[in-house]
Amino acid sequence: MRAIALLSIATSISFAQDTRDPAADPLGRLDPSTRHAVEMLMDSAHSVGLPYGPLESKALEGIAKRANGRDILVAVRRVFRALRDARTALGPSATTDELTAGAGALRVGIAASELSLLATTRNGKPLTVPLVVLADLVTRGVPRDTASLTISQLWQHGAADDDFLALWRSVERDIVSGTDPGVALLNRAREIPAKGPSTTVPPPATVRPEDAKS
Amino acid sequence: MTRQKLPATAVAVTLALLTTGEHAIAQGTSELEMRLEAGANRIAGVSAVLPTAGMALTPGLRFANRGFSLETKGSAWLNGQEWRVGDAIVKTESRSRTWHGVRGELLANASRIMASPADVSNQVDAAGRLHFIRERGGVWVGSGIIRPLLIATVANASVNSGGVWAKLGSTTLRATVTNVLFTKFASNDTAARGGTVTACPTATSSAAVTAPGLVPGMSALTLPTSAPSCRRESRLTDVEGDVLWEHRLLELSLRGGQRFGERVDVTPSSRTWGSAYAAIWLSSQLAAVAAGGREPAQPTRGLPARRFASLGVMLAYWPIPRGTVPVESPVNRVHAFELRPAGFALQRLTARIGSVESVEIMGDFTDWVPVPLVRRGRDHWELLIPMGPGMHQINLRIDGGKWFAPPGVPSIKDDFSGEVGVLVIKS
Repeated sequence: MRAIALLSIATSISFAQDTRDPAADPLGRLDPSTRHAVEMLMDSAHSVGLPYGPLESKALEGIAKRANGRDILVAVRRVFRALRDARTALGPSATTDELTAGAGALRVGIAASELSLLATTRNGKPLTVPLVVLADLVTRGVPRDTASLTISQLWQHGAADDDFLALWRSVERDIVSGTDPGVALLNRAREIPAKGPSTTVPPPATVRPEDAKS
Repeated sequence: MTRQKLPATAVAVTLALLTTGEHAIAQGTSELEMRLEAGANRIAGVSAVLPTAGMALTPGLRFANRGFSLETKGSAWLNGQEWRVGDAIVKTESRSRTWHGVRGELLANASRIMASPADVSNQVDAAGRLHFIRERGGVWVGSGIIRPLLIATVANASVNSGGVWAKLGSTTLRATVTNVLFTKFASNDTAARGGTVTACPTATSSAAVTAPGLVPGMSALTLPTSAPSCRRESRLTDVEGDVLWEHRLLELSLRGGQRFGERVDVTPSSRTWGSAYAAIWLSSQLAAVAAGGREPAQPTRGLPARRFASLGVMLAYWPIPRGTVPVESPVNRVHAFELRPAGFALQRLTARIGSVESVEIMGDFTDWVPVPLVRRGRDHWELLIPMGPGMHQINLRIDGGKWFAPPGVPSIKDDFSGEVGVLVIKS
């Protein structure tokens, strides 16, 4: 009788664990040590005024993609550092989306000074889309300097979010068709008309395609 | 003679049950589909080529990979008490890699039409095309030859063609110009209607003209070979346009054309034509289909002009055998991926992905919990999902495979040996 009772309790516990609502405790699927480390990072982010949502999101993404605890922790740490650097580069007024996009750009090798340049000329416009496009272009093989210079020039010439997204689509199509990524970006950037006041920075057309390949 | 002058009108009322046993095996970079259509047809009018009434059974097979496709299709007619093979066709298409938006294509077809054991026509044709492809449109030019076999009134033919297509939202527009040059054996009928040929040998031409069911100006089957002096170079130019509109559960196609050529080569019933096709998906595997219109004659295949109307249902079945491992990049299988606002903090996500069993998404907006899309038709997948303004990360998965960034949106590395798409939803 006692054995049956113990078996019943054990089964109940097991069932309760299996049917635990992931929404109520999304990090519950992490092993305890990884979870503790992730929560510490989230607390640290909160204490220094960084958004901790992206850290939790990265951990959940890792869980969903069946990454092991160590890889998840490495990824969350990387996001934390990138967010911190992005805020330094973009300034305290940067939104969570801008910080996340800026972190993405830093992680593909864009210099913090390039982000700072974009931030200083923002004039209240959101930086999220240009930063997302910048990170993607580098991921697709556009040389970092070419990508950051071109995006920066378009930004200063008043390009809007739709311009950046249209540019991204065109460049992606050209790359798929076999065009050199750097050349594709320079060619397509010329098609975007300047909307803002002229600056001392030369327009994209003055960047030679051979420079883009270097 | 009276029967010859009747218009080549074939009014077919089809109540078709299309049981599509479509086993799409996504293995490696290949795809295999098997298809079986069954229906009942009743044809009014006079035709030497098409059965007047009967059941039709149409099996089909299609194999495709990235650079090559092979498709076979046939039909058998139950006319009275006996089954008769109506036609069969084998199509192949080879495609080169796209280089700077340009792709080369080679097409070759072989077909056979059997009106009766004695009336058989074969045709082989081959064409090469150069296709200039852009994101939402393209232009192509091509040239090829057609070799009709066992058609007594038509000899070698060559074809030059060009076309343009554009995709505007969910609408696809296409226009083509096809120029067919072929050698035609003249008849007394031809001469009487203004043909510029010399007189033909009486016996041969009479036989040709009085062949049962022969439509004026049309080729006939199994006619005796004419003397060389009766040969006449003919030219047809078809200008055709069509519109395909797909919106959620509805597929609508309109097609129209005009044929240019000398009066002796083009019958009045083949001067203009038009047809319409509509399919509405009542559930994920059941669609009602309707079609009707007029088709022009196909001289090189020995088919007369005809009118048709059809109404039917289509049952579709789309299994993917479990255990197959798609090696092809899954992103290449996504033909369209769109996100549109659908109310306050809601987005309607639609995707066109063929020959798959399940499609799922996940992202920060689902707390990285996979959410399945709902199939809405042949290859249409849809989901209404809460997603507020701001930046979101999204992944897509097909048939439980690897997560990937959907096409058409920027992407970044995800730290887990993959990529994640980035969406920016405006407020």
